[in-house]
Amino acid sequence: MLEIRDLRKSYGKLVALDGVDLTVSRGETVVIMGPSGCGKSTLIRCVNRLTEPDSGTILVKGQDIMALDSGELQEFRRNVGFVFQQFNLIGRLTVLENVMFHLVLGGMDLEEARSRGRVVLDKVGLKGAEQRRPHELSGGQQQRVGIARALVTNPEIMLWDEPTASLDPILVSEVLEVMEELVRTTATTMLIVTHEVSFALRVAERIVFMDKGQVVEEGVPKEIFADPQSEIARLYKRLLVT
Amino acid sequence: MLVFFRDGFYKDLIILLVLTVIIGAVFAQGVAWAIDTYFGDTLDGMIGEYGEYDVILHIREEAKETALRELERIGEQSFPGYKLNQTLTIAGQANFFFGFPETHRTKEVLEGITSYFGAVPGINGYTLMVEPSVLIRGVHPAVREDLMEQIEALSGVRFVVKDGVNLVVVLAEEDGSADITRKVEDILQKYQILELRFPMGFEVDTQEVGEQALAILHSHSSPGQSEYKNVTSAQYGEDLDAFLKALVEMRDFLGSYASQVRLVPDPQVNLGVGELIILEDDLLIEVTGIYGDHVEGMIVEGSPVQSMDTIVQAGYRYLGPGERGEFVADVEIENERYRLAYAVDESLRLLAELEELSVQASTAVNNAEGVLTTFQEALMQLEVLQVQMRQLNEGITNGDAKSSGEQFLVTLLLNGLFQTLAQGVIHTGEESLDSLQNLDIEEMRESLAGISAQISNVQEIDVAAIMEQIGFVRDTLPNLNDAEIGQSIRLINTYLGGQVIPGERVQLLIEGQHVDEKALESLFREELENPYMHTYSTSVGMVTPDARGEVFRILKEVRSIVAGMLSIIFTMIVLVLDHATVFSTLKFLRANDRPNKRRWARLFNPLLVLGGVLGSLILTSVYYLSRSQIPFVSLPFVVFLGFALGGLIVVFAERFSPVHSMELMAGQSLGLSNVQIMREIVIPPSRPGLLNLLNRFRQQF
Ligand SMILES: Nc1ncnc2c1ncn2[C@@H]1O[C@H](COP(=O)(O)OP(=O)(O)O)[C@@H](O)[C@H]1O
Ligand SMILES: [Mg+2]
Repeated sequence: MLEIRDLRKSYGKLVALDGVDLTVSRGETVVIMGPSGCGKSTLIRCVNRLTEPDSGTILVKGQDIMALDSGELQEFRRNVGFVFQQFNLIGRLTVLENVMFHLVLGGMDLEEARSRGRVVLDKVGLKGAEQRRPHELSGGQQQRVGIARALVTNPEIMLWDEPTASLDPILVSEVLEVMEELVRTTATTMLIVTHEVSFALRVAERIVFMDKGQVVEEGVPKEIFADPQSEIARLYKRLLVT
Repeated sequence: MLVFFRDGFYKDLIILLVLTVIIGAVFAQGVAWAIDTYFGDTLDGMIGEYGEYDVILHIREEAKETALRELERIGEQSFPGYKLNQTLTIAGQANFFFGFPETHRTKEVLEGITSYFGAVPGINGYTLMVEPSVLIRGVHPAVREDLMEQIEALSGVRFVVKDGVNLVVVLAEEDGSADITRKVEDILQKYQILELRFPMGFEVDTQEVGEQALAILHSHSSPGQSEYKNVTSAQYGEDLDAFLKALVEMRDFLGSYASQVRLVPDPQVNLGVGELIILEDDLLIEVTGIYGDHVEGMIVEGSPVQSMDTIVQAGYRYLGPGERGEFVADVEIENERYRLAYAVDESLRLLAELEELSVQASTAVNNAEGVLTTFQEALMQLEVLQVQMRQLNEGITNGDAKSSGEQFLVTLLLNGLFQTLAQGVIHTGEESLDSLQNLDIEEMRESLAGISAQISNVQEIDVAAIMEQIGFVRDTLPNLNDAEIGQSIRLINTYLGGQVIPGERVQLLIEGQHVDEKALESLFREELENPYMHTYSTSVGMVTPDARGEVFRILKEVRSIVAGMLSIIFTMIVLVLDHATVFSTLKFLRANDRPNKRRWARLFNPLLVLGGVLGSLILTSVYYLSRSQIPFVSLPFVVFLGFALGGLIVVFAERFSPVHSMELMAGQSLGLSNVQIMREIVIPPSRPGLLNLLNRFRQQF
C-alpha cells in the first residue's frame, strides 16, 4: 500500500530525515514512536507532501507520489486523511462546515456533503454540535471534529500526527476511544505517530521506532517490548512498565 | 509556488490590480478635485469668476448705499451690460467689483477710472483686476512710456494700462500669459537702473553729479554698447525724504537744546572728531566737530552744574572707565537749556510785575487829571484877580469916589497892601499869566485819556492765561539731560549715516549691456571724490503674477501634491491590506518548495521582484492617472518608490498579515487547490481590503 524508500529531508543544515525506509500494507495499523525532534512529523507529512522531501521515493498503491503534478496531488490528498496535533480546524467555519466544506469544494452536492458530514460527526460522538464554532468546543471535541473531517472522504490511508499530544490527560481517552473504534471498524490503512504506549500496544500491528531521522527498530508490539533492541525502544518499554 | 498562479488565482489578482488602480486614481484625483473645487468656489465667490470683473472700487462703508445707486447709474449710462457686485466690507471699506462690457474694456476706460468713478460718493481708490493680464510693479517713470510702447507691440497683448507706478498688460487670451510674461521680462531685462547714493548730510547737486556720473560711465565703457541716461527724480521715495528731513530737524533742535561745549585745545595736542574727553567732574565729552581753532563737542555722559554762567574746566583724554590721560583742552560749557528755563521763569515773574504796574499806572493817570483840573481852576481865578486888580488900579488912579466909606477904606487898605505886591505881579505877572494861559490843557487832557486807555488795555490782557501758557511751555520742554541728548544725537547720526538710508540719490538708466554696480562703486568713489557713496542696481519693473493667477497656480500645485501624497498613501494601504496577505501566504508556500538547484535562482528571490513590480505598477498607475505632481519627484523615482514599497511589503508581509499556517496546512491536506485555499481559508479572515471585498463574490463558505 505505502512504500517509502531512502527518504531524506533537511531544513538548511539540520537533517530531519536521514534515509528512511518504511513499508505499510493495506489495512495495516502502524504506530511510529520516537523522541521529540526525531523527524516523525516530517516523515508523516512527506507522505502527502505537506512537506516536500529532498529525495527518496514514496509509492502509494504503486504510484510515485513525488511525480504528481498539483492537480494529481490534490486528488491524491483527498484520499488521505490527516489528523493534526493542533487539530488545524478552520476557525471561522462551523463544526459541520469544517467537516464537509472540502467535499463541496471538491465538487460534491451541498446537501449530500451535509448529510455525510452529519454522519461522521455522529460517528465521533458530536451529534448536536454541528452549528457550533471550533473555539466553543473542548480540545477533545475539537480533535474529534478533526478526525471526522479526515474521515468524511472515506480515505484509504489515515495519517495521524500525535493527535492527543496537545490535549489535557482527561480528554485524551475520549479521542483514543474514537481512534480505537475506527481502527477496529474500518479497513483504512493507519499510520499513527503517538507517545501513547499502551494504546500502541492495543491497536498497533507494528511499531516503528525512530531516532535522529532514521528508523532504528520496528516490529510487532509484543515482541519489541519483550526484547527491545534499540535504546529508544528500551526507553518506551520502561514507560510501559511504570 | 508558481503553481499557485497557474491554478487560476492570477485572474483574481488581475481583477484586483485593475480595480485597485482605478479606485486609487479616482480616490486621489477625487480628493484633490474636492480641494480644488472647495477653494476655487470660495475664491470665485470672493472675487468673481475669471475675467468677470475689471476693477475693485473701494468705498467708505457709510457711503455704500448711495455709492451703489451712483454706480448703477454710471453703469447704465456709460457701460450698458456692466456687472456689479458688492463683496467684502473690510475695515470700514466696502469693495465693489465692477465689470465692464467687452466693448468698453479699453485702455481709455481703464486709464480713466477716476474720471468715470471719481465722483462716486465715499470713493477711496480702486484696484485694477483686469483678466487675463500680466502685472508689472514699480515701473520706473523714466522708462514707462518706452515700455508701454514695446509691450503693446507684442502679439497677444491688447494694450497696456498705466496704474500708478504699475503697468497692467491686458492680454488677448489667457493661454498667452506665460509666453507674454517671458517676453515682458526680456524687455525689462534690457534696462538697468544704476543708483548712486550719498549718505545724509552731503549736499549733492544731483543733477550735476548725475551728469558727471554719466560722463564717467561713458568714458569707461566701449562705445555703442549701451545707452546711458540720467533719470534722477525727486518724487521717488518722498515719504522717506520727509522723514529724514524731520529727523535732521530733530537732531538740530536737540543739538541747540543741549549744553554748548567749546574746546580750547592745548596747542601740543591733536584732537580728532569722535574722541572722548573727561572733565574733572566726570562729564564725558565727545568731540563733534573741528573747524580750525574752533572745536565743538557734546556731553555724552553726566550732567553739568546748572549755571547761567559759562563753566570752564580742564579736559583730559578719556582712556576708559575711571582712567584719564593727559590734559588736552580747556572745555567751556554753556548750559542753554538752563538759560532757557531761567528765561521762562523770569518772563513769568515779569508778567506778574506787569499786572501790578498797570494798576498803579491807572491810579497815576487818574491823579494827573485831578491835578490838571485844579491847575485850570487856579488859572481862571488868577485871571479874575488880574481883572479886578486892573479895575481897582484904574479906580484908584481915576479918583472915581462915589464909593462908600467902607469901600473907600477897603480900597485904601487894598491899595496900601497890594500896591507893592501888585506892582510886581502886574508888571511881571502879565507875562507869566499869558504863558500859563498858552499851555494847551485840552491837549494834555487828551493825551492823558490816551494813556489811560492804554493802561486799561494792559489791564484787559489776560496775564493769568499768558502765565499759564508760558508755564506750559516750560513744562513741555524736553526733560532730557545732556547725556540723553548726546546719545539721541549719536543715534540719529548713525541712522542718518547708515548706508540703508539714502541721502541724496542719483539714478542712471542703462539700456543694453548691464553694468556691475559693485565694480563701479570704487570708480565712482574715486572720480566723484566721495568715499561714502554707494552704488546699487535695480530693475525698472518687476513682473508679478496677478493675485488670482498666483492663487490658482498654488492651488493647482497643492492639488497635484495632495494627489501625489494620496497616491503613495493609497498604494501603501492597498499593499498592506491586500497584498501583504497574498505575499505572506506565498512566502509560506515557497518555504516548503524544494530549493532550486541553480545558484543564481537561489539568490534571486522572485517574490521580492514580484512585490516590487506590483508596488511600482500600482503606485505609478495611480500617480499617473490622478495627475499627481510632487515637486522634485520624477516619474522614474515614483516607479522606484513603488518598487521599494512593494519589496518592503514582501519582506514584512507576515507582520502585516500573519499566515494561519495550520489552517493553511489543513486545507492542503484536504486536497484543496491553492485558489481554494486563498478564497476559503486565507483571505476571508484577512484585513478588510479590496481583496477581501472582491473575494466575497468568489467565496463559497
Ligand atoms: N519547518 C521547519 N523548518 C526548520 N526545521 C524544522 C521544520 N520542521 C521541523 N524542523 C526540525 O526538524 C527536526 C524534526 O522535526 P519533526 O519532524 O517535527 O520532529 P518530531 O515530529 O519527531 O518531533 C526537528 O529538529 C525540528 O526542529
Ligand atoms: Mg512532531
